Amino acid sequence: MSTIAPQFRLSRFIGSLFDLIFWVILIFSLVGLPIVFIVLFYIKLPVINGQLMTPYLAMTWMADPSRTLPIVKNFMHTTIFKVMAFPGFGFAALLAAATIFVERKFLAKIQLRVGPLYCGKIEGILQLMGDGFKLMSKEIIIPAKADKPIFWMGPLLFVGAAGAFVSLIPVAPGWVVANPNVGLLAVFAVIGFFPIIAVLTAWAANSKWTFIGGLRALHQMVAFEIPLILSLLGVVILSGSLNLSQIVVSQEHFWWIAFLPIGAIVFFITILAELERVPFDLPEAESEIVAGWLTEFSGMMYGLIQLGTYLKLYAFAGLFTVLFLGGWNGPMVWPPFPQDIITQGITIGPVTAKFPGLPLFDQEMLNGTLWFVIKTVGVILLILLPRGVFPRVRIDMILHTGWYKLIGLAFINIFIALGLLYAGVLGPGGLLH
Amino acid sequence: MVDSVFLALSVLTIGSAIVALEIRSLIYGSIALMLTLSGVAGFFLLLDAPFVAMFQLSVYVGSIAVLILFTVMLVRRELIFNKVEDKRRRYAGIVLMVVLMLGIGTIIIGSGLKTMDTNSSAVDYKKIGEDFLTYYSPALIVMALILASSIIGAMTLARREDVIDGQRAD
Repeated sequence: MSTIAPQFRLSRFIGSLFDLIFWVILIFSLVGLPIVFIVLFYIKLPVINGQLMTPYLAMTWMADPSRTLPIVKNFMHTTIFKVMAFPGFGFAALLAAATIFVERKFLAKIQLRVGPLYCGKIEGILQLMGDGFKLMSKEIIIPAKADKPIFWMGPLLFVGAAGAFVSLIPVAPGWVVANPNVGLLAVFAVIGFFPIIAVLTAWAANSKWTFIGGLRALHQMVAFEIPLILSLLGVVILSGSLNLSQIVVSQEHFWWIAFLPIGAIVFFITILAELERVPFDLPEAESEIVAGWLTEFSGMMYGLIQLGTYLKLYAFAGLFTVLFLGGWNGPMVWPPFPQDIITQGITIGPVTAKFPGLPLFDQEMLNGTLWFVIKTVGVILLILLPRGVFPRVRIDMILHTGWYKLIGLAFINIFIALGLLYAGVLGPGGLLH
Repeated sequence: MVDSVFLALSVLTIGSAIVALEIRSLIYGSIALMLTLSGVAGFFLLLDAPFVAMFQLSVYVGSIAVLILFTVMLVRRELIFNKVEDKRRRYAGIVLMVVLMLGIGTIIIGSGLKTMDTNSSAVDYKKIGEDFLTYYSPALIVMALILASSIIGAMTLARREDVIDGQRAD
């Protein structure tokens, strides 16, 4: 007899089960069903196979396989799917998580180390999952004299701002979460939030290390925001649009990096500074000020900041791809969907199964996504590379670079773009368009 | 829908403006100021002017608020503010604000705002840019000169020749 439940009786156990079922049914029918119907009343339901999908038909996809794929396809074009899964958070978080692992292995290989090795059978492939579980199970410690509301809000705001940035990046034709006419300006607006969040959380933690790190982050980000904005104006001048999707479409024949290499270099350096990566990682200089403005974060709060940082990394790499490397443009390498399956279905032995609604994604979108991911991963690796090679630079050198050299180079880039525009070579109505 | 968003934005903007004026903590005051400026950006979005809204966010929230934070964090409070607090000043301020609001309000309402067509489509920012570079180009040039001269003035004021830094690389 176990000592955990010495008064155990089977009849009482079964009785409690019935009790539970009774309450679940009661609450579901009194609260749950009305909520479900109110939600279904307000959601605009799609027309599937020429028939409006009423709430009563919502579950028929389980019984009728010919409705399954059209419903799934319809769901994939809703905003909630775009925000949560494909061009939005899920996709970006997957790439960000892969980046964390690849960064560790990549840097280890550069420096002739082995990197994560013991988690998982092959090359420490489960290290990331282990780190995630560790962060989730750790206690969140708030410093005693911290300013609690701002300290709590910091990581959430950071992830939120990074997510807003991710939502503006177009991945494939038509596959973007938010597509405003002033997309690039929206990017500038979102980037402007990061230094505020950094310095506010740094101040709120009430520690010398975090405050020094936060002030460094503020100095650095403010100094590099101006060349960042200026270096992108050349692309805007030549493509004649602020919409990121239209900027990608304008690079159908050639990439802007071919004409604006100075702008691309300036933008790449400012990316490194905005992301606080080596050689500009003074805000997190671990050998001087512990971990900079992240010192007092623990547990999942640190995890959220880390997630936000890597989402931001993906978003900046995607922005570089979109503006200078032609985004989703590339030769069609994705094979077309086999016509036999659409017309005749799949035959396995005596059974022939037809799947109306195939193909799930069109060829253009898959090809665009492939090229976008290839280019973005290349840019991410380039961003990671300096960490294995360069030492950290001093703060006055950073500020000197930002305020003097990069702004000057960005202006030269603008003059090149203007020259190409007024010579009638490129731009709206140019020779090569 | 638009009405409720407008109401929520108004409450947010005015409420955080009052908080920015009244709260004791300077940091919270600057955060409330940021919320106010973001609320104004929301109004611009409601008015179909995303271009202005994005500039409001990136300039006012992204730069002005950062400057205020810089000032608050790097300068001791006693150097900026004196602690003298006067009830009469507050009431005078409120009265002045009411008078100003009434005056500006009568001017705006009398300016033919009521007869404006609210159903016409929003003006594209490209049209505004074209107007700036053609019809209003003298104004643009004057603005550019004013900004350039103020930047040069600020740089001249901030320049210190008495400090020699031996650490600098150049």
